[in-house]
Amino acid sequence: MSTLNQQVGLIPRVIVCLDVANGRVVKGVNFKGLADMGDPVELALRYQEQGADEIVFLDIKATLENRANALETVTRVAQNLSIPFTVGGGLNNYDDVAQFLNAGADKVALNSAAVKNPSLINQIADGFGSQCVVVAIDVNKDEVDDYAVYVNGGHVKTETNAFDWFAEVEQRGAGEILLTAMHRDGTGIGFDNELMARVAKERNIQVIASGGASNAEHFVDTYQAGSDAALAAGMFHRGEYCVDDVKQALKKQNILTR
Amino acid sequence: MSSALGIKKVGVVNTKAGNLFSLFACLRRIGFEPITVNTTQDLELNELCALVIPGQGRFGQVMKQLKATKLDQAIQMWSQQGKPLLGICVGLQVMFEQSDEDPGVEGLALFEGKVTRLQSPKQPMVGWCQLDSQEARFKNQIVYFVNSYGVKSSPVAVATVTYGEEFVAAINQGNLWAFQFHPEKSGPIGEEMIKQCLR
Repeated sequence: MSTLNQQVGLIPRVIVCLDVANGRVVKGVNFKGLADMGDPVELALRYQEQGADEIVFLDIKATLENRANALETVTRVAQNLSIPFTVGGGLNNYDDVAQFLNAGADKVALNSAAVKNPSLINQIADGFGSQCVVVAIDVNKDEVDDYAVYVNGGHVKTETNAFDWFAEVEQRGAGEILLTAMHRDGTGIGFDNELMARVAKERNIQVIASGGASNAEHFVDTYQAGSDAALAAGMFHRGEYCVDDVKQALKKQNILTR
Repeated sequence: MSSALGIKKVGVVNTKAGNLFSLFACLRRIGFEPITVNTTQDLELNELCALVIPGQGRFGQVMKQLKATKLDQAIQMWSQQGKPLLGICVGLQVMFEQSDEDPGVEGLALFEGKVTRLQSPKQPMVGWCQLDSQEARFKNQIVYFVNSYGVKSSPVAVATVTYGEEFVAAINQGNLWAFQFHPEKSGPIGEEMIKQCLR
């Protein structure tokens, strides 16, 4: 049995997300309510040792006052990581991005700022290369079964059409799309694979599935649907699964893992 | 060639094309002292055991900086003397003669051949891929790639990789080493590869 990913040669990535607020890793449910999950540096190293293919650090309560603290935490994580490290949250302009790249991030995740000022994607891609631009997109499936793009940590609905936005970020030079299905986040029922499959097929950049995973099989399902990578937080932080459990589940389906 | 503390110094060429954080952090983790090489004097005054051309930026931009500082000739001399040299990603690419990324710009020409745009299924190629090699240290190892350009084939290639098409992943000729992937981002396997090249 072979998967699309094996045919094209890239190995599906298992990504662990650290949602950070005030220097601590936290976990929310449906973008609401936060529980303390531990120290970012300790957790990043633990997941690297477990075999994570990438770490994403999202500063979900990013404020200007807290900037120095966030940069310092990013540097402490980066000094110890030998795998790719993506940082997002509160990146509003070119200078913010430069600060976090200089602090040790390999890539940045742009979310609300990209929706409000799409040319920021072009600026970062021109200045630092497409490979370091991840556009994080939060979508929610509403009553009429359509996908709406949300900003400001999932609090504000925009008029942006999700599928137009996926195409636009690619055309503006994004290297990857980190696609969070808000309607799945914290539910534990698995990724929105219908959505992931469609975006992975239509777009010529990689798609990272996010939102809804609660077990190793959910990763298998989304890679088989066509996702290039998949991201989870809570199932790892709560100790229900370690990254290696996911790798073992993939191996059972003859999906190549690192 | 080691400092008073016995820590070997490795020069990292400042190509002014991106940040060197990951590479510096990696070199420190594996027991080297990284030294930024901005000028030819930096090469002469420090007792460097090896030199690294880092993997950030584009071909033309990197070569422009190397020419402006005359580090291009210094690196060619360094390699002729048989001293350890490692190129990473665009650092590998500038060791060739030219690139489709910036036509008309001359590379360091340490190796014969040309860099071309890769026919990757998704652009840019970002992610982990398995190496094909006859050498045990590379064979079936999974390492991290970030690129849109590469070298299709080379007589000095020691590992290749396939993503849409086959291209060169690792090169070795004497003390000259070059990796199209990013060993500093490839976990413990990548760290081990850097150690072996620079020792």
